[in-house]
Amino acid sequence: MNTKSPNPYTAFVKDFFTSYGCALVEQTPSYFTIQLTSEMDEEIMNRPFYWHYMKKMNREGDPMQLTFTDTAETHKQGIYLHAGTPKLHMIYNTAIEKARTARLYEVIYQTKHPRNRAMSPWLVINVLLHYRGKQAKDEPLSIGLNLIHGTMMLKMMDKIQNIDFETKVSDYTFPMTPVISLVNAYKRIERHIETYLSSLDNKWVSESLHHLEKEKQLLESFYQSEDIDLESFTKEREQIDNRYKPYVEIEVINGGLFYISQETSAEWMAQ
Amino acid sequence: MVEIQPDQSFIQTLSDHLNHPDRLTTWDGFKLAYQAAQYKTVPQFDGLLALEHLPHVDFMDHQVQAAETVIHQMNGRAILADEVGLGKTLEAGLILKEYMIRGRAKKILILTPASLVNQWIQELNEKFYIQAASPRKKQASWKDWDVTVTSIDMAKRENHREEILSIDYDLIIIDEAHKLKNHQTKNYQFVQSLKKTYCLLLTATPIQNTLSDLFNLVSILKPGYLGNLTDFKKKYKKNTEDEDNIQHIHSLVGHLMIRNRRKDTGLDSSKRKVVNELLSFTEEEMAMYKRLEELKSTHPSFTWLTLAKELCSSREACYMSLKQLQKNAPEGKAEIYDEYIEMIGQLPHHVKAKRMTELIENAGEKFIIFTEYRATQYYLQWYLQQHGITSVPFSGKFNKGKRDWMKQLFKNKAQVMIATEAGGEGINLQFCHHMINYDLPWNPMRLEQRIGRIHRFGQEHDVKIYNFAIKDTIEDHIMKMLYEKIELFKNAVGDLDHILEQIPGGSFEQQIQTILKQSDSQGEVNIKLNNLVSYVEHTVNERRESS
Repeated sequence: MNTKSPNPYTAFVKDFFTSYGCALVEQTPSYFTIQLTSEMDEEIMNRPFYWHYMKKMNREGDPMQLTFTDTAETHKQGIYLHAGTPKLHMIYNTAIEKARTARLYEVIYQTKHPRNRAMSPWLVINVLLHYRGKQAKDEPLSIGLNLIHGTMMLKMMDKIQNIDFETKVSDYTFPMTPVISLVNAYKRIERHIETYLSSLDNKWVSESLHHLEKEKQLLESFYQSEDIDLESFTKEREQIDNRYKPYVEIEVINGGLFYISQETSAEWMAQ
Repeated sequence: MVEIQPDQSFIQTLSDHLNHPDRLTTWDGFKLAYQAAQYKTVPQFDGLLALEHLPHVDFMDHQVQAAETVIHQMNGRAILADEVGLGKTLEAGLILKEYMIRGRAKKILILTPASLVNQWIQELNEKFYIQAASPRKKQASWKDWDVTVTSIDMAKRENHREEILSIDYDLIIIDEAHKLKNHQTKNYQFVQSLKKTYCLLLTATPIQNTLSDLFNLVSILKPGYLGNLTDFKKKYKKNTEDEDNIQHIHSLVGHLMIRNRRKDTGLDSSKRKVVNELLSFTEEEMAMYKRLEELKSTHPSFTWLTLAKELCSSREACYMSLKQLQKNAPEGKAEIYDEYIEMIGQLPHHVKAKRMTELIENAGEKFIIFTEYRATQYYLQWYLQQHGITSVPFSGKFNKGKRDWMKQLFKNKAQVMIATEAGGEGINLQFCHHMINYDLPWNPMRLEQRIGRIHRFGQEHDVKIYNFAIKDTIEDHIMKMLYEKIELFKNAVGDLDHILEQIPGGSFEQQIQTILKQSDSQGEVNIKLNNLVSYVEHTVNERRESS
């Protein structure tokens, strides 16, 4: 590649490993090497037998190192970070798997005259909508719901991206007890998504149904002309349904209870 | 209203975890997961996400379209049957990359002829940034490798077979898939027992000889799709009377096959000029040729046919066969060949070799020369050397290293490459734009494959092709009957493979062999060949009118 724009995946991959306690042992402009922890090795290196054996023998095991390269040009052996690389998908999935739930408190830095502050509970839900039919696509949504008065915020992650959060409550702040239950709040978010989906152009749905119908008819004609037997007819029939029947799956990526000061939320609620 | 499948477990999980703080994540972890979800999102139904990740590759319109059609219309099971040199490998790579980006393909198996394994690995790496592995002598870890390139022969070996068959592959790509036309072979059965979600079959000649070739390819993709073989054959025979049935089969196959033709792509920037060079034997050579005809009375006509064709190629090729005949002859019969061998030793340098050297010297550029005979290959190498022209040999039987080396030598050092038929597939020589077909194969399709080595994408010059044939010999017939009349070189190859398969009573190649074997006189050969060609011509015209 001639373009020297930075590889967008590099920062993400480094962040991922260092966040989970893996050390960056070597770094050059073209590649970097990560020392995995035993836990990470077990999770992403796909060698269960090795770890099973180590545990059985009561030994510590020897976690591997991984080298990632930034460009295709380097002669260093390593995993080249490019869209679609299976290791990258594995890292995405691990990142999601390890961080599904949270309870976080906004960090309040105290001034000279500390005063008590109430922190509002929010349910933050990040979902992927999987549109499935003849073709497939995904859409990410991030929704927040205030558990005191029920205000809903869209693009929630954008709003809170730059706020500092901790797992401990800051001094002089007190978290309020939710008025709306989690289950109830989640139902409201779900209803919102349903309303949103019904407002969309449904052309892809009718196209999928049309294709489904055509495939069924074709299969029917094979069966009529005795090109296939009943068994494979039934099997194929199911296959066709699986592949073309349109639906939307709501998958929650992660979510949690976030305590945010009213001063902070007032800023983006006013917008 | 579309059906919605809700996430039923999440909120319960969250409630549980809130009581077990050790299961909760940090803000950093939470943000990383959110970002990961953004990265793995597929934001649109249509189009190819891969294109914006591969700005360094110039894809042709028809290649992008083919990839889109396979992914979005054919749902990932297709025969890619572009004519030679239109970039099937690029199309397959693009589809592969797209599925990987969309997260649909992680385990991928690519089966190619052994000679193409390295080329695939290199191309995937350079053009698509996909790192592929291939098994070495003892090392193979099929389960760990995400993308594997290997040959069918390697894959079906005792020590690999079972492991490969146990893996659920997301995508399997089979290059040169026409080699799987026979459903009774071990290779075919092996391929059919692989577990796969998506599958691409690559071939420039989906129908080599008969329509059942195509049937067998389709059966790998969609078993039962065309019924069973016997019924299919019966139906297709009846079809000639029933237009609707033909339409039905064509539309069925159309759902599974993409076939771009040179003429359709509109991208045929470099043209091909074909010159048929009819050369005359010297008197001595002609006398020898006539002498060979005497063998017809005492030998199977096939023997004569072989010798005559060889003499048209080189003294050496003919000599080797005569020697062989002598060796295998029964006691007391061996002497009859002495005379021929003696006579062949007296012949001057071959008229074709002289003409070839003339062409090369005049043009002063790189040439690739194809011959069907090893002996001719050796002879030409020696002959060129005598004239101070550098050349390298090439054969499909060379190992990988040697093939790459010869190609490099040809590119950087030598002026001429002399290849035998087996070298036809899988080398790309766009830097060369002169070709001499030193002798002509029976099957016109094979000539197309040869030409495809140099007349393909990346070729910037017009391509000049010389077909050599000797006047008043068997070659003269091949040329007049098969090549000129059928107008092969203009555009008919696409039509032709349909037509050649429809000839009643065997493939085109078989037909010719039969005619030559069974005819008693030159006159009879002419008449029969004429009939055959007229039949093909008639069908071509009929097709053109109807389309």
